[in-house]
Amino acid sequence: MSIKDIIAPFSVWKRAFEKPYTSKRPIDERPGAARYRGFHINDMATCIGCGTCEEICQNAAIDMVPVSKTKHGDSGLRPMIDYGRCCWCALCVDICPSGSLGMSNEYIWVDSDPEVFRFIPGQDNKSWNDSSLGYRRAEGYDLLEGERVAMPMLSFEESQKSFIEMVQGYSEEQAKREADRCVACGICIATCPAHMKVPDYIEAIREGDMEEGLRIVYQANPLPASCGRVCSHACEYVCAVKHKGEALSIRWLKRYIIDQIYKNDYQKILDEIPEENGRHIAVIGSGPGGLSAAYYLRLLGYAVTVYDANEKAGGMLRYGIPEYRLPYEQVDKDIIYIEGLGVTIEQDTRIGVDLPLTDLYKKHDAIFFSTGLTDPYGLNIAGEDLKGVMSGLGMLDDVTQGKTPEIGSSVVVIGGGNVAMDAARTSRRYEADVTILYRRREADMPADEEEVEEAQGEGCQLITQAIPLRLEKGDKTRLRLYWGRAEMVPDGEGRRPKPVLVEGSEELIECDTVIPAIGQAADYSFIPEELLSSIEFTRGYVKVNEFYQTGDKKIFAGGDIANSKRDAISAIANGHSAAKGIDIYLKNFKEEVSRD
Amino acid sequence: MRTQLQQVSTRFSITLIDELAPERDDLLFVQVEKDQAVPFLTWLQELAGYTHLVFFTAVDFIEEGYFQLTYMVHDYSTHQDLAVLLKLDREDPVVESIHHLWPHAATYQQEMYEMYGIEFPGSPRLHDDFVLEGWDDLPPMRRDFDTRQYSEDTYFPRGGRKSRDTAEYMKEQLYPGEAETW
Repeated sequence: MSIKDIIAPFSVWKRAFEKPYTSKRPIDERPGAARYRGFHINDMATCIGCGTCEEICQNAAIDMVPVSKTKHGDSGLRPMIDYGRCCWCALCVDICPSGSLGMSNEYIWVDSDPEVFRFIPGQDNKSWNDSSLGYRRAEGYDLLEGERVAMPMLSFEESQKSFIEMVQGYSEEQAKREADRCVACGICIATCPAHMKVPDYIEAIREGDMEEGLRIVYQANPLPASCGRVCSHACEYVCAVKHKGEALSIRWLKRYIIDQIYKNDYQKILDEIPEENGRHIAVIGSGPGGLSAAYYLRLLGYAVTVYDANEKAGGMLRYGIPEYRLPYEQVDKDIIYIEGLGVTIEQDTRIGVDLPLTDLYKKHDAIFFSTGLTDPYGLNIAGEDLKGVMSGLGMLDDVTQGKTPEIGSSVVVIGGGNVAMDAARTSRRYEADVTILYRRREADMPADEEEVEEAQGEGCQLITQAIPLRLEKGDKTRLRLYWGRAEMVPDGEGRRPKPVLVEGSEELIECDTVIPAIGQAADYSFIPEELLSSIEFTRGYVKVNEFYQTGDKKIFAGGDIANSKRDAISAIANGHSAAKGIDIYLKNFKEEVSRD
Repeated sequence: MRTQLQQVSTRFSITLIDELAPERDDLLFVQVEKDQAVPFLTWLQELAGYTHLVFFTAVDFIEEGYFQLTYMVHDYSTHQDLAVLLKLDREDPVVESIHHLWPHAATYQQEMYEMYGIEFPGSPRLHDDFVLEGWDDLPPMRRDFDTRQYSEDTYFPRGGRKSRDTAEYMKEQLYPGEAETW
């Protein structure tokens, strides 16, 4: 033993009075760096519960658990993190579409119970919940693409010259690139009235499997060539990626699938059609509701005859939507397949005129009617019956039938919905100067945003907060339209402000044609008294139960006459539900009814 | 330094990559071929003043089919950093060792062997466990290593965990009675 060995233990004592390198808890605090990846935080109000964090987590540390109320665009689920598995890589923070997830710079959490280390950030009360420090996704660093793949479109100069379809459709490369932006959360499925399996068909596009895509689409929508063009796309308003920028182009991706498949190949790809089961259903109206019901009824084994008053099938898809938005051959593509399944469509047969409804009632096992809103509302102003006043629907109908509408060189369209925009843009295609009058503000317009934008792009002048007062015969032009300015007056809590005429204001537009397009009502005159008495109506709508059955057990209804959304996809969903409803009724309750 | 590198560029077949470090003038990136890496690094250490190896690491560029090795060296006299990049074929991940130039490089190489499976023939303790004791799977930093699959196969799930599928849950909550669910 050397002398050093004896002294060494004592020499350590000279360090006793130096500042130690270790920190004393809880006396000394050592905060994490400003961008330290510490414990998670989540802004509960911003989070939409899409589950993308769970999907990306490489350690399967995240579960989605029910926390708040489910509503459209928010599943009500929130991430619960298992700190037994988390490695604080922050991928969940980097991918979070809503940007609600982050990390505080706190890193010390001591507890003897291991179960507490599974927690819901933002929900459970933690000291770091309000921390402004810690890791957040860095500006400009994105795992998700917020920008939509631009759709090739005709320019406004080009588009207003003809009825050629304006939206030209994605190429394969563009569609795949757009499909790649989807996080497959499925929040859109709940919002789609037909609950289409959107993430599944987008995946089919990514995989390049168009046949699978077509099968998925047809599960909930037998009119995809039309819907892929004109659907009101409620799905896109709740898309998780919209929180980062632009929503997925869901509608146009659906169209892409349909555009890739030749119409005569459908039969090979889709379900085999069952033999007819001996029961026969009548469908009145060949719009989206009627066609959808006919398709799903045929799939369930029923023989179906569709009765339609027009020369061709499609209802509003054909007669209400101009060709530059929805070419007729696309409507035909949808209909030809449905007819090919053995659905008979009797055209030019107006029920109540050419054929009484009571005949159908006796001959068929059930009736589904989806006759739509066909009677345009009038303006209720003086001079409405003058020559030169025509309804928006009437004008669009004429154009579909190949007639040139007599609109002259200047047109005023009154209304702010899609029919108004369509009438205005169609008038532009007949080289008229077009003014659109709308009584509320631009933000209140019920038309799709892109329609309003495109109408203006094509040169339609939009005047908002304008109320038509009266019409007179003109001298230079056919008509003189007097209108007054409106001011927006609050109309109580939760209601949108209503337009009220500014006293004494009066302006004049001289024009050849005035096209009112301010909505339309249903026409139930085809229903005879003995059947009408058992069907209930509320404020113009047919009252139906969850099976879309009316007060008369044999009669089912759907579409614009039975739902408040009044769009094609809701009608398609109604038709689907009614088909299943009819099936349930005929299989389970029919005998009881016939004994009555 | 730039001129000095340009002078030897043909000798060591190196290429300067300017776009990688635009915001710093004390850092240069240079690409080197596999057979010239050690001669070039030897020259850097012995004649060009880059006496310090700051770190030595790899990145897996699986789509392009190579590992990118980065030798970061430093010149104390000028405080200049130089990153030497080397593309190494993923199918044949063998490269000369540099432990004779910097002894501590052996530790980096041991780690890279364990994490990526890159061989540095002759490097001391190369095949000894580094941090993964008893590892017998694909090297885990290779991008074709499936972390999730590995953890599912290796560990047992914690009890009491339950997750909900967003779409299914919304269906239950918002439209349980519609046709789709019958």
